[in-house]
Amino acid sequence: MRFALSDEQRLLAKSVADVLRKHATPADVRAAWSSDVGSAERWAQLADLGVPAMLVPEQHGGLGLSELDMVVVLEQVGRFALPEPVLETAMIVAPLLAASSTPEAAAPLARIVAGEITAAVLFDDARVAANLHGASVVVLARATEGVQWFEPAAGATKARRSVDGARRLGELCAPPTWAPMVTGDRAAELTARARDRAALGAAAELVGLGRAMLDMAVDYAKVREQFGKPIGSFQAVKHHLASAHVALELARPAVLYAAQRTSERAADASRACSLAKAVASDAATGAARASLQCHGAIGYSFEHDLHLWMKRTWALARAHGDAATQRARVAALILDHNEGRS
Amino acid sequence: MKILVPLKRVADPDNANKIKIAPDGAKIDTTGLEWKPNPFDEYAVEAALRLTENGATPKVRGGEVVVVTFGPKEADTTLRQMLATGADRAVRVDTTDDALDGSLVARALKALVEREKPDLVLMGKQAVDGDSNQVGQILAELLGWPMATFAATLQEEAGALLVGREVDGGVITLRVKLPAVVTVDLRIVAPTSVYSLATARTHKYADGVRFSALPAIMAAKKKPLIEVPLAELSPDTSLRIAYSKFEPPPVRKAGVKVPDVAVLVDKLVNEAKVL
Repeated sequence: MRFALSDEQRLLAKSVADVLRKHATPADVRAAWSSDVGSAERWAQLADLGVPAMLVPEQHGGLGLSELDMVVVLEQVGRFALPEPVLETAMIVAPLLAASSTPEAAAPLARIVAGEITAAVLFDDARVAANLHGASVVVLARATEGVQWFEPAAGATKARRSVDGARRLGELCAPPTWAPMVTGDRAAELTARARDRAALGAAAELVGLGRAMLDMAVDYAKVREQFGKPIGSFQAVKHHLASAHVALELARPAVLYAAQRTSERAADASRACSLAKAVASDAATGAARASLQCHGAIGYSFEHDLHLWMKRTWALARAHGDAATQRARVAALILDHNEGRS
Repeated sequence: MKILVPLKRVADPDNANKIKIAPDGAKIDTTGLEWKPNPFDEYAVEAALRLTENGATPKVRGGEVVVVTFGPKEADTTLRQMLATGADRAVRVDTTDDALDGSLVARALKALVEREKPDLVLMGKQAVDGDSNQVGQILAELLGWPMATFAATLQEEAGALLVGREVDGGVITLRVKLPAVVTVDLRIVAPTSVYSLATARTHKYADGVRFSALPAIMAAKKKPLIEVPLAELSPDTSLRIAYSKFEPPPVRKAGVKVPDVAVLVDKLVNEAKVL
């Protein structure tokens, strides 16, 4: 087995990075803090690349790529702190709609593939989710009651403040009229897979966020001087940064392994996704802490870009199961000898 | 129009600190280097794509772009990248990176041009590693073709190209009859730099090289990429340039701050002795 990304996957990452470097600058991320809706222009750029269609099978007009390809893209999404809902739309909802194979799903799926709309997902009894206020299609995934969906009309949702102002949380204003999509065992299976993809996708973004914050800290430590020397020359700073680097280096393979197992529908896929989310959450929050320490007071200020990455990290580390929750799930899956969907 | 674009992979300049020299100083140790296409050659591919399409409908090809590189099997990655960008075919001339110089590359390219019979050879003005700026000029001489270097604009005419070259004090425009060899400079990828006969003069391209969409990356796997041994193109593989020794640039000494202009002038006169 070859434990390396393929040439196509590396090119895919480069292509997405090239686009984001141009169209998702720190100034763009900052501007997203003061907007309730996403950038249609930026979403169109992502659609031109084919991002929303990645996990949609070719018979539904998609690209038929795998979760392993998708995490490569999501790592770049995190690296640039992209405000757009790639995780929700392309990683969670699009493959869920495709897998449901129901007539109801066909129209919204086609619009997602075409890059015309974005999506949001609610699990179980949640009323708040990322991109809920602004999504054109919302899926409610519940293991026992089934998978349902609705198209929010004006006033059906409202914006909700988040620690990360660019992530755009939304809340249901009133219980909507959900249309059934899938029920029974199939619904439980699709919901479990969607949960795994949510955790996995967030983990991939966190690795990218962590790497970006570490790069910022290293660059800063090379130029910021104290006692007549760059602060990066002091052991106390070096050790912080080295620890953050090691944690990220260990988290990335966990994410890639989980993505591969998920794409193979392997029995240990759920455990691998939970483990990936746990280690990536810890690695990214650790990188945020180290970067903040190395930046000193300037890192705390709203004016510095670090806080844009740091607050996305805080939000995503807690989204779709924080590290403690995911570790408990890993333990349960191991102890119960139950590698199936929980 | 059929265009041949020679391109070279170079060590990623963003990771230039990873470049090492073998202990005996005989060559550059390429182990572990990250490679990327020479930026000027990427610009040449972009210009070639613009010349073989209508800018308003870029997904419809109106000609053929063949990319060629010299190197080992790993250099296929660079070619696949260009195929994903839009090039139609690729040729890899099988050799090793350190067994080449500008003359040998030009001699082999001449043989390839005679096989492929392109209307135009379009290439970067130089590679950003060796900065030799030789291959285009030598190739044009060997072929006996017209040549224009450092192109900043290209306009297709019937059987010719109008080439704008930025020079000190202005722009020189040359009309070059095809077939020809043209090397490009960085402004060739500006929004209004290149026009094929099919593209309206009012059309504006996005600034820079185009991105590879994900479907194109997947489709690139199926585009033709052939391997040709170097000796098949140039039985004489001798080099005209002999490298005697490599060594890293001297470590730059830390600067000093001077309190005023008088001290600065004193140092320039008495220490640096440049005044």
